[in-house]
Amino acid sequence: MRAALKRFARNRMAVLGACVIGLVALLTALAPLLYPAGAFTLAGPPLQPPGLRYLLGTDALGRDVAAGVVAGARTSLLIGLSAALSAVLFGSLIGALAGYYRGAVDIVLMRLTEFFQTIPAFLLAMLLVVILSPSVFSVIIAISAVSWPGIARLVRGEFVALGGREFVLASIGLGASGPRIIFRHLLPNCVSAIIAVGSLLVASAILLESGLAFLGLGDPNVMSWGLLISAGRVTLRSAWWVCTFPGIAILLTVLSINLIGDGLNEALNPRLRER
Amino acid sequence: MSGIPTPHLSRRALLLASAAMAVTAPPAAEAQTSRPGGTPTPVPGGTMVMIVNPEPATLATYAVSAGNIPPITTQIYEGLLTYDWDLKPQPLLAKSWTVSPDGKTITFKLQEGVTFHNGAAFTSADVAYSFMEIAKKVNPNGPVILRELEAVETPDAMTAVFKLANPAPYLMMSLSSNNIPIICKSVFEDTVPMQNPSANRPIGTGPFKFAAWERGQFVRLDKNDKYWKPGLPLLNRIIARFIPDAATRSAALETGEAHYAAYSAVNAADIKRMQANPILGSTTRGYGTTAATSVLEFNMRRPHLAKKEVRQAICYAIDRQFIVDNILYGFGKPAVGPLSSVFSTSGWFTADVRRFDVPNRLEIANKLLDDAGYPRGANGVRFGLHLEINSFGEQWLRQGEYLKQALAQIGINLTLRSEDTATWLRRCYTDYDFDINEPFYSAGADPVIGVHRHYVSSAIRQGTTFVNNKDYRSPVVDKLMDDATRELDPKKRADLYHAAQKQMVEDSPGAWLAEVQYVTIFNKKLHDHTMGPLGTYEAFSRAWLER
Repeated sequence: MRAALKRFARNRMAVLGACVIGLVALLTALAPLLYPAGAFTLAGPPLQPPGLRYLLGTDALGRDVAAGVVAGARTSLLIGLSAALSAVLFGSLIGALAGYYRGAVDIVLMRLTEFFQTIPAFLLAMLLVVILSPSVFSVIIAISAVSWPGIARLVRGEFVALGGREFVLASIGLGASGPRIIFRHLLPNCVSAIIAVGSLLVASAILLESGLAFLGLGDPNVMSWGLLISAGRVTLRSAWWVCTFPGIAILLTVLSINLIGDGLNEALNPRLRER
Repeated sequence: MSGIPTPHLSRRALLLASAAMAVTAPPAAEAQTSRPGGTPTPVPGGTMVMIVNPEPATLATYAVSAGNIPPITTQIYEGLLTYDWDLKPQPLLAKSWTVSPDGKTITFKLQEGVTFHNGAAFTSADVAYSFMEIAKKVNPNGPVILRELEAVETPDAMTAVFKLANPAPYLMMSLSSNNIPIICKSVFEDTVPMQNPSANRPIGTGPFKFAAWERGQFVRLDKNDKYWKPGLPLLNRIIARFIPDAATRSAALETGEAHYAAYSAVNAADIKRMQANPILGSTTRGYGTTAATSVLEFNMRRPHLAKKEVRQAICYAIDRQFIVDNILYGFGKPAVGPLSSVFSTSGWFTADVRRFDVPNRLEIANKLLDDAGYPRGANGVRFGLHLEINSFGEQWLRQGEYLKQALAQIGINLTLRSEDTATWLRRCYTDYDFDINEPFYSAGADPVIGVHRHYVSSAIRQGTTFVNNKDYRSPVVDKLMDDATRELDPKKRADLYHAAQKQMVEDSPGAWLAEVQYVTIFNKKLHDHTMGPLGTYEAFSRAWLER
């Protein structure tokens, strides 16, 4: 683990990404202190340009864009992390079952996975949110529902590769149960791959969430970057700051998470170790 | 403008035209002659491009009341009447009319020498068929507007006599080309109206003939050379273009590619920029029969909203000027009651009602809620309600976000719920599973057309959209509105409406937020396009393009 951290620290871009995410997390934590009134409060006159009073300007209703960006960070991180986590858990389970048991179980689960993979992810997410009625919970469900197939295929592949190894055969020979082999022996051996791909899922989940909110399919009671951009789009030509800053926030966050993901991949993947 | 041929007038033709004009027009030093007031003299010819948004699903205006159809179909179909700026009836297909003293018989004398675009002569039989077989049976507004119409008699080819069961003063306000288009009987006889071949290839008597509809692109209308008004229309052609993207629509006007855009075709946020453009003009006229108002509907079946104090407190909490300034971008004015101030010309509107725009409104609202028995809890919240977000565009989400803040001031925690259109409508008008709804209504030219159904108890019809879903049952208002429906004397009718408005504002079954002011954006080369209160719901028979 120490060695992995060291290798990660050697990747400057990944460290930079981690710093940006750390800053976003810090802002999220400080949000109640910085903007105690919340992001929806009508803070002042509408469409004020960025300045000392309103750091990033105000939107068409007179809400502070800075407060919106900070509150949006919380929503994006919350939804990105929970959606990615649930997708990883579900995808790993499906992949593990298919990869360990093979045969009929494998065929059924992998056809199901392919079925989900062939449906355009964003459209399926939109449909799910509309059916479940927009809320933070339904957005998380929708994003996880379209994100798990990649993980499932990855885990299955790893399991198939590891399935014939001596330590697995030894475990079987010693009479270990299926679940024990899956969770004690096989999963820990592919955890590095899961972490690397899972971190990239966080980035795509944040993008999906922003896209949904932009189309008005986010939770209307929760501030998010997509909602800010969609609200600012109509005033784009007269008040550039309303959608520019949340856009930059999305860009930086997603880029940083991708950099971290690459860094983790390099640090944890034994095949890339000696690069 | 790709793919649409634009007829160009040659230099020689232009010279000839101006020479011809010089004979008839007062002498002028320049080639461009002037009418009194400095406006240039109309020249015939040219192609006008108007933006219609969104593209209509059908052109069967006689059976579908969607607002994006009439800008096209009123060029083709004509009604019996049109209206002047004071909303007084003026002749169109009806040359003259008389109303019997008891108000139960209206005799129309029709224009002679009018033919439909297919060559058939226009007679009283077409009028009778249009009203009795089409409008009364398939027009969605038919049951309201024509409720009292029992028969249309045709003593001769140029006379149509309307027999009413009871007086219906609003009927004379509802006979425009948009309300009841006159269709050709021989085209429709023995067919299902919606499946008639002319549904999407309309045949009327108007100044322009239907030429082509390229789905997703445009509808082309050509000049009717045999139009019954001599010398009209002036334009050779009208192209109604469909551009789904708002920014592209604005750009089409700014580059001169399109000449005219009415209603919400131009994004409110863009209007100020367009008004500063030297080639574009703007007008707020031509929406006299729209009377569009944004409102809140309170579900009075819910325990909190069953209390009048709570409903009034919500009304007090809302800053309507804020909504006008920041959500409508200044294009509108605060509403004071269920009738739009557009009805002040007719005398029906009154501002003498309980006013919610008083300086100490928040104080009053908080007191009302205290008195109603809802003290603030430890977190400052009295109780929570849900707001159903209108799904017809994002300005309604903005309004919802504002309302959430406004109600927080009086300790009501408003939770926003946004759903797709079908679910939203079912929740609010079929399941009645809502607290507050934020719809948007057009009153039409008369309160009977678009106001009554939101408030009278007989309009509590589960499953019908945009009627009384509030469970508002006031015998007083029911009686006043019912009397106003039949009252012929304008003064007495105004008194009835004044009393009804007072009572409704006092009861506050809803909150009236803002009267929306639409803006038409046009190219300054296009003249005489907005000639009456119907605006874009009337034919461009006198419109012309300067070249």
